[in-house]
Amino acid sequence: MKIIEYKTVSSTQTAAKKLKSPRPWTIVLAQEQKSGYGRKKTGWFSPRGGLYFSVILPKSQIEDLQTLTILAAFVVAQIIKEDFGLEPFIKLPNDIYINQKKVAGILTENIFGKEIKLSVMGIGLNTNIEKVSKNLEKKATSLRIELGKRIDDKKILRQIIDGLKKQLKTISR
Amino acid sequence: MKFKIKIKDKEYQTEISEKDDLVKIRVGGKEFDFTKDKQEVIVAKTSFSRRDFSKKEIKAPISGTISGVFIKEGDFIKRGQKVFLLEAMKMENEIISEFEGKIEKVSGQKGQKVKEGDVLVELK
Repeated sequence: MKIIEYKTVSSTQTAAKKLKSPRPWTIVLAQEQKSGYGRKKTGWFSPRGGLYFSVILPKSQIEDLQTLTILAAFVVAQIIKEDFGLEPFIKLPNDIYINQKKVAGILTENIFGKEIKLSVMGIGLNTNIEKVSKNLEKKATSLRIELGKRIDDKKILRQIIDGLKKQLKTISR
Repeated sequence: MKFKIKIKDKEYQTEISEKDDLVKIRVGGKEFDFTKDKQEVIVAKTSFSRRDFSKKEIKAPISGTISGVFIKEGDFIKRGQKVFLLEAMKMENEIISEFEGKIEKVSGQKGQKVKEGDVLVELK
């Protein structure tokens, strides 16, 4: 698993899209994002403590990429439920909530010429954020806030990537 | 018949002779035969710079809703430049130009729904 790690980046999506030779399953990981974003360029609160990464997806059919985007939410939700015993709620296609508060978001971006040139999936998961900012207190949470303990970011990252690989293999048969 | 041809300051000694249906043209040391059946001959290979005369259009690669327009008529765009953002199939899709050129017409507007194959931009 090739990981390109940054302490701070404007957005892992932007960094991943700029890679000179983007190979499938290369991961761009950041400890914090200054301008993290979700769909429709809505900002994604990305202080230190969260798991923010983008992964280069293998060249796939557009329909499979759509399915994978939806399945990615299930992959993340399953980890939250099975590993931590929390009750995630998936708001399709790309947000996951715990106790009505957002904990994760998923965004797939494709770059098209006549055909797909690059597909990048970005996932923001609030893992070890100790405290969310005042204006987001009622809207966002983290696994640490819900569980009261630190969790292993890298382990979750590996689980998510393994889950995505497995799902893509299944749907693209 | 002998004569000289001057092309770009260089003179070529040329000789034309005709016998029955055969016309012989000698240029320098090379001889070219022309008959009634054979009227074409490659005298010189000339290389022209390759130009793409096909129509340059950027089409919607999939159906969706335009959520961003990054160019306007009159702009000169480069190959690989982002021109549109298209929301489709729960994903965001950056449409980049496969051509470079001046934009003659922009057909897509923000918020507009487009179908796969719709022409979004015409270039010259």
